[in-house]
Amino acid sequence: MAKIFFEDVVKPTVFSKTKISFNLSALYDKLWEYAIFSLAATGAIIIVLIFVFIFMKAWPVFQASGLKVITTSNFEEQIRHAYFAPLDEQLWEFGLLSLIVGSLTTALGALFIAVPAGVGTAVIICEMSSGLLKRFLEAATRLLAAIPSVIYGLVGLMVVIPLISDRLLNVELQIKYLEYFQLNGYSMLAGIIVLSFMIVPLVIALSVDAINAVPRKYREASLALGITKWRTIIKVVIPAAKSGILAGVILAAGRGIGEAIALSMVSGASANMPSLRHGFVFFLTPVLPLASAIINKSQAISVPSIEAALFSCGVILLVICAFLSISTRIVESAVRRRQGLD
Amino acid sequence: MIKIKIRDASQQLFAWVSALITLAACFGIILFLLVKGHGAVTLEFLLTDPNPTFQAEGAGGILAPMAGTFIVTLTGVVIALPWAIATATYLSEYAKKNLATAYLKLAIDVLSGVPTIVIAIFGVALFTNPTLGFLSSMIEGVEGVNKAFGKSFLVCGIGMAIMVLPYMIKTCEEAIKAVPNAFREASLALGASKKITITDVVLPSARRGIITAIILGMGRIIGDTAIVWLLLGGSIRMTGQQPWWHLSNWLSTLQNTGSTLTTYIFLNSPAGEGNKPELAFAASLVLVVIIVFLNAAAGLIGFMGKVKEE
Amino acid sequence: MGNVLVEHPLSKTNGSAPVSDDGCAIVVENVNAWYGRKQVLFNVDMQIKKNEIMAFIGPSGCGKTTLLRCFNRMNDIIKSFRLTGTIKIGDEDITSKNTDVLALRKKVGMVFQQPNPFPMSIFNNLRLPLAENFPDLEKAKIEDIIVQKLKDANIYTEIKDRLHHSALRISGGQQQRLCIARMLTIDPQILLFDEPCASLDPLSTKKIEDLLLQLKEKYTVVIVTHNIEQARRIADNVAFFYTGKLVEMGPAKKLFLAPETEMLERYLSGKF
Ligand SMILES: Nc1ncnc2c1ncn2[C@@H]1O[C@H](COP(=O)(O)OP(=O)(O)OP(=O)(O)O)[C@@H](O)[C@H]1O
Ligand SMILES: [Mg+2]
Repeated sequence: MAKIFFEDVVKPTVFSKTKISFNLSALYDKLWEYAIFSLAATGAIIIVLIFVFIFMKAWPVFQASGLKVITTSNFEEQIRHAYFAPLDEQLWEFGLLSLIVGSLTTALGALFIAVPAGVGTAVIICEMSSGLLKRFLEAATRLLAAIPSVIYGLVGLMVVIPLISDRLLNVELQIKYLEYFQLNGYSMLAGIIVLSFMIVPLVIALSVDAINAVPRKYREASLALGITKWRTIIKVVIPAAKSGILAGVILAAGRGIGEAIALSMVSGASANMPSLRHGFVFFLTPVLPLASAIINKSQAISVPSIEAALFSCGVILLVICAFLSISTRIVESAVRRRQGLD
Repeated sequence: MIKIKIRDASQQLFAWVSALITLAACFGIILFLLVKGHGAVTLEFLLTDPNPTFQAEGAGGILAPMAGTFIVTLTGVVIALPWAIATATYLSEYAKKNLATAYLKLAIDVLSGVPTIVIAIFGVALFTNPTLGFLSSMIEGVEGVNKAFGKSFLVCGIGMAIMVLPYMIKTCEEAIKAVPNAFREASLALGASKKITITDVVLPSARRGIITAIILGMGRIIGDTAIVWLLLGGSIRMTGQQPWWHLSNWLSTLQNTGSTLTTYIFLNSPAGEGNKPELAFAASLVLVVIIVFLNAAAGLIGFMGKVKEE
Repeated sequence: MGNVLVEHPLSKTNGSAPVSDDGCAIVVENVNAWYGRKQVLFNVDMQIKKNEIMAFIGPSGCGKTTLLRCFNRMNDIIKSFRLTGTIKIGDEDITSKNTDVLALRKKVGMVFQQPNPFPMSIFNNLRLPLAENFPDLEKAKIEDIIVQKLKDANIYTEIKDRLHHSALRISGGQQQRLCIARMLTIDPQILLFDEPCASLDPLSTKKIEDLLLQLKEKYTVVIVTHNIEQARRIADNVAFFYTGKLVEMGPAKKLFLAPETEMLERYLSGKF
């Protein structure tokens, strides 16, 4: 399509100007290269634009709150006040700590489940299964990765939430915690469970690639030393695949932090600060991760200060995810270098 | 000895259980949607527009959301494809090993890690800009506000294109890199220019990978909710000139808002305003069927490629 | 260099290879082997004597590796592989279903054509098989054994400062000797070498050959080689294979001086 675009637009001018002397085809080639290059360059510029626009929109909040943005947590109240503030007396001060904690706890919790389960499944796919079972597992992984997050949210809503509120909650508990928050099943735990299923196919897919890329000679060396197949997998194959598996873990972490819709549907949609003092109720706390906050509060986005608050959620997400993306490569190559693989 | 055996056995048990849970989750979700949703999926459901109402009767069907998904997917892919092919071509055929190329690669990497919700609010920031008002519409009637509405199928399609761009670039790049160098050399030796070599030899040979990239991009766009939520909005019906499906109204439809299957599901779930989970399940079922078909198509193309190689 | 070989600290057998009644470490009887439908070994009979170096020679694809890998059942991991006949190590037929393959592989160590140290430190390369096979060893003991085995493989002095660096960052020849050291940690009695010098320079090759001559004092050695000179230098016995058949076998001196078959003669004069 780039070709059509180019021929339509550029050819006539080139033709009229170069009729006389020099090598038309070389010029044509050069221009084509420039066209390709400029399209490629726009992609590179977009990411800069994303940073610039989102930082700009969030700037008033950072200006008004300073470090408090990431050290205080009074988000719900601030949003409420900001909403009712008159247009010319906007309240720009927001504290996002509870949102950040909500994002990190759900993502880390999901990783805690999804990484071992994903690597385990990958081992089964690559080393322990064959034929139909292997095909089924691969297809299931691919399909799980392709199921839209809103469906995960919906299923979580209809299955996980009732399960939590039936099994883990009772009236006494609810009354006891009423002063902090309402316990109704919508919780960090629900978020963790739903998120685990969403990121596990990523971990599986990247681990499968990594394990398949481990040369046969390592397995043979280990087996020839009288080591069992399973110990070969645990002690030789997985360590040799470590860099690729780690890349998958980081990718999954980014996906978990950035997930908005599914978490906004199940994790409670209210910005409470989970506290370890509450024991296992820590996990039952309704939380509002950064990404879902943007969805949940988007109806109020016409208020400039709330808009800015949501954009500052975006800034934090962007910074975390950019950091993760960049660290993927660095971590991967550092591990490989230490192993002597390159 | 016993200890070692127990350790190994429990590790293996853990791996098997994880694998079986993965398998069960996949089939469980699909079965669950089938059981809950199949009753509501009728021809009428597929062919009528939705009505915003609190009752299940008279709530209508999912024609407009399906059309919305189609429109958004089409615009997204149409914008992203030439962009992705050009970038992939540049990276694999022209780029020299220098700082600019390293930056371009890094930029694509970082872009692929940006959450869709962030791309969505980037879209909000960008497209509410009055100079881009022609893509949606201007906000009118509010004193002292000079802003574009920032929500429309066009805007949403552009957001989607940005979202899928890095994935499509990567897939296209792999496909182009997989074209044997001998092809290029033969073409160049015949006196073809580099441009002709690329457009007439390299890209056609990479078409299988490019089609895979398209399907991959489509799958991601169809499944996304965050970008639709912020760049297309929460209205369940088409808001352009009616009837929206009339060809003469195409521009108005594109410049106005509507819904997709994903926002339809979200709105009808207990999390949204509609709270008609039966309809959400039915729409989910339709969505999953589409996704399964896309997946199968991608699998088929990969399979055909393998067969051809052998 | 003298005899640097010492007893394995764990050795139960005092280093004596299993020997059947007639003094043979390995007895191969009527072995046929297939990959899928394709037969690659035909009626092979052979005896390999204890504490000697047996060299397999023959043109590429004639089945040397296949037979070698039968001795430690490495062909088990190839799904299409099938074998008939018996291979006795000691008194045990190791082709039987009931064979304890893990125990067999500990008794019969193997070094491959491509050096294949694990992508971890030199130290951990040796620690891994020790820790896996002797889980009750104390740390200090493990370190002792590792140093000892590196010395046995004539590599310790070259790499003693880099024990905790990646094993992939030493030369190919050193890697191959590291693999030999790694094999020795499991206290084998028979050592299999599949073209161990194929990817090495002459100097590294010489070092490995010297090492093999030392090792045969204590171990039974079977080596596959394409290098006739190498076989001449180190082998006590030679077996010549051609298209899956064992064509000629006997003491190296006799075979190289006066080959009985025309085929071997042609092979030795480089006519293949
Ligand atoms: N995994 C396998 N599957 C199918 N056929 C195989 C396999 N491995 C080896 N073969 C075939 O079996 C025959 C014997 O192979 P083998 O590796 O034993 O030969 P070789 O004598 O070691 O050769 P070289 O000197 O080249 O290493 C060859 O024809 C080879 O193609
Ligand atoms: Mg061989």
